[in-house]
Amino acid sequence: MAEIQLKGISKSFDDNKVIKSLDLSIANGEFITVLGPSGCGKSTLLRIIAGLESQSSGDVIIDGREVNNVRASERDLAMVFQSYALYPHLSVQQNLMVPLKLRRLSRLERFPLLNWFLPKRSSKMIELNEKVLQAAETLQITHLMERKPGQLSGGQQQRVAVGRAMVREPVAFLMDEPLSNLDAALRVHMRAEISELHRKLKTTFVYVTHDQAEALTMSDRMAVMMDGEILQHDTPSEIYNNPVNLQVAEFIGSPKINVLPAESDSKGGITCMGLPISLSMKTPKQGSIMLGFRPEHTELLSSNSNNCFEGKITYKENLGSDIYLHVNLKEDQHKMIVRSEPDKALDAKIGDMVKIGWMVDKVMAFERNGQSLPTKSKS
Amino acid sequence: MGHTRSHFWFVSPAVILMFVILILPIFVAATFSFTDYNLGSTDFKWIGWKNYESLGKFSSYSKMFTASLTYVVIVVPVSVLLGLGSAMLISSLRFGGELYKAIFFLPVMATLLAMAYAWEFALDPVMGVINKVLDDGCSVGWFYKFFTGSWLGFNPTESWYGGICSDRMPNWLGNKKYALGSISFIGIWQAFGFNMVLYLAGLTSIPRDLYAAAEIDGANSTWEKFKLVTWPMLGPTHVFVVTITSIRSFQVFDTVEALTRGGPSKSTYMMVYAMYEKGVKQNLIGMGSTLTIVFLGFVLVLTMTQVYFINRKVHYS
Amino acid sequence: MKQRTKLGSEAGKHIVLIVGALVVILPFYLMISFSFKSPSEIQSISGGFFGAQEMMTDHRCLKAGRSEVECTMLPIVYNYRAAFEEAPLLRYLLNGVIVTLSIFAIQVLIALPCAYALAKLKFWGRDVVFGLVIFCLLIPVHAIALPLYLMLAKFGLTNTFAALVIPWTISVFGIFLMRQFFKTIPDDLINAARMDGMSEFSIVWKVMLPSAIPALLAFAIFSVVAHWNDYYWPRIVITGDRDLMTPPLGLRMFKSDMDGNEYGPMMAAATVIVAPLVVAFLLAQRRFIEGITLTGMK
Repeated sequence: MAEIQLKGISKSFDDNKVIKSLDLSIANGEFITVLGPSGCGKSTLLRIIAGLESQSSGDVIIDGREVNNVRASERDLAMVFQSYALYPHLSVQQNLMVPLKLRRLSRLERFPLLNWFLPKRSSKMIELNEKVLQAAETLQITHLMERKPGQLSGGQQQRVAVGRAMVREPVAFLMDEPLSNLDAALRVHMRAEISELHRKLKTTFVYVTHDQAEALTMSDRMAVMMDGEILQHDTPSEIYNNPVNLQVAEFIGSPKINVLPAESDSKGGITCMGLPISLSMKTPKQGSIMLGFRPEHTELLSSNSNNCFEGKITYKENLGSDIYLHVNLKEDQHKMIVRSEPDKALDAKIGDMVKIGWMVDKVMAFERNGQSLPTKSKS
Repeated sequence: MGHTRSHFWFVSPAVILMFVILILPIFVAATFSFTDYNLGSTDFKWIGWKNYESLGKFSSYSKMFTASLTYVVIVVPVSVLLGLGSAMLISSLRFGGELYKAIFFLPVMATLLAMAYAWEFALDPVMGVINKVLDDGCSVGWFYKFFTGSWLGFNPTESWYGGICSDRMPNWLGNKKYALGSISFIGIWQAFGFNMVLYLAGLTSIPRDLYAAAEIDGANSTWEKFKLVTWPMLGPTHVFVVTITSIRSFQVFDTVEALTRGGPSKSTYMMVYAMYEKGVKQNLIGMGSTLTIVFLGFVLVLTMTQVYFINRKVHYS
Repeated sequence: MKQRTKLGSEAGKHIVLIVGALVVILPFYLMISFSFKSPSEIQSISGGFFGAQEMMTDHRCLKAGRSEVECTMLPIVYNYRAAFEEAPLLRYLLNGVIVTLSIFAIQVLIALPCAYALAKLKFWGRDVVFGLVIFCLLIPVHAIALPLYLMLAKFGLTNTFAALVIPWTISVFGIFLMRQFFKTIPDDLINAARMDGMSEFSIVWKVMLPSAIPALLAFAIFSVVAHWNDYYWPRIVITGDRDLMTPPLGLRMFKSDMDGNEYGPMMAAATVIVAPLVVAFLLAQRRFIEGITLTGMK
């Protein structure tokens, strides 16, 4: 188990700054997800922690020890790769043995032929075999031990990759989009399994993904990363409910949050497209701001409601459990996506005019530059 | 489907040519290998296995097998390992890799016969640069010490280099002690660039993640990574490179014909040259055909071994 | 510290590779250098790379009754002039071009339709034909040279251009290679061509051929290099008639006609023979390496 700290990490490839002075601290035994769109530098960050890539500046500290010049093989971390990176010429059993052999056996004991004559080797090998078997049992892959990776399905390969990381009992697990090569159903299943594994092992997990569902469901805390910077590092619910800026708000949540322009007056009152919103700013300031309404925090209202948005349905998505209506608002050219209970919107048709309301305590306010603005709802 | 019998016109020229040019000759050779036919005479006798028996009887044929096998046993491993080594060095370079690749590949492109003559001049006992360097080196202290091994405490006059210094520079192609070695050297010089290019292609197809995984798993030296990832991942390349180099070295002809004509005292009497000498130069068709059949047998065995390995061992997916 | 060891190992690798490169280049260096030098410089191993280029007198030119002035020239001029005048080097080069190009043209003409049929047409016996191709891949033409030579002799074809070309007209490797390539071309392209009313014959030459250009180019390099450099087969079927000799065979004749010290002209001839492919290679390295290593795809 380990606590990992990153201090002022930056990384450039030639002139391209991939990571810009980044700080992150990961607590002992925590499951942390680094979430970001592809190309945001999250995989590079993971490889820097692993020691596969060296940072241009800054420190990596594992359990209080600065490891900048420690090689990947000596950091005692395990990693699960997106491509699994199993050795294709070795059987599952042999794949699981590799990290154990390389670490527990001396150079001499690994030397072909000669090693048969070393007294302690066989007892060590029995012990290692035992460990491999244990890991295989945990992951339910004992029946696959003699197969080669090429003969396994994607899900099975994934388990073997996790197994290879597990057998060594590393101080932390690093996972680089481990589920992205699996099909959708299996991905949901493996999500639960990895969470389960974390609960069992109680080791630090650093998990990199671009899939917000994985991040939201699995992690204790998550770090939202964009353009080489961590924008917000907090619990999933905090990030969902109180994003620090518009970028994070737009990245988390599906469908995407609706953003509409609004005005705030000197007393802190807010109007959005002519409608007063019963919300006020904690530090009143006059000017134009933006409001964010998550689709799941809006609703269809009856046709006689007033003080609400009004618009025409352009598209209807029926997901069974929910219906999403895409609405062109009457005022300006703004669009909005509204989530509705199925029975409320069942006979809404494309082209119909509808009225839309919102849950006022869930509305988020942002400055023009995207920074989040603290608000309180008027009671 | 109605569309036509066009396939017939497409396929038949190729099929006819395959039979006439590739398959029929095998039968012709097999047939003549049981005769004493020679191109000058009008008729021939069936002599059964006599030609094959003479392969075992005459010392020139046992010398032929020895020379051919020795050549293959020297050229194949050395040119394969040199190819692998240079490929690994080049692929790990930060700059200049393309230049070395081009240089090492030059011998593959160049007309071997012309280059054989250039080597002949380099290896010439009197006016060749190689002997000139060796000769001049005898009077250069460190060079002499290094190559006689006296820096390791050996007696310099007993060493090979000490010997040629006090006596005479070697006649690389004319002395039967050196001729096969010299021909093999030219063979290696010509072949390793080809192997290098195949290995370079093999190396680039190894996923980078495997090296990262090996590093994480605790393989901290270059050697460990080579053992765990590079060598096994090159499996299919090894099989191919070894087979093609073996078949090609069995076929060595240009250098032998141009530089030694099988001599001195048959020390470089290689199979294809023997086939040419018996069958074409001396018109002994019967014996030449026998050699052809034996040679085909060797090539077939090599290819079958390759097929076996490809199917059995080295395919991972 | 880390940086320095990295630089050190990079330098070490370069040293090893440079030593190797020197050995590889040595015969090329000698060949070109000899083609510049005078006979005396060659025999005494002096004069560096270019030689001193002192005027020299060509004795055989004098014997032929020409004037002293006419017969005095730079060694480099002497060498290359001798190469082109004493041996019909231009004739050899022309023969080389004729033979390699006709071999390639016929190979394509025969292999392409067959490859197309094997890849894209369904017909009775297709698997048998493909099996035959695979089997023939195992037969190196060099190995069956003697019976081929016998057969050609039987028809009186030795010492003709035909003898140089015929054994190579069928390239099973070419068929195999093109078939693999055609397999990757979508059927819909062919079906669309059929819908447009094209005959199978014009599909081969108007649809498949253009789409196969990259593979064909690689095969062209493979084929041309192999046959330009081939010495074994011409040596067997061409005896005596210089008008039919290919460059390597011509060089061989040059060597056996040589009286003692004509190393300079001989290396000049060798340089001229080696140069076209080496220059082409240096200009289009990537393509050449691809083409030559094509055999690696098997």
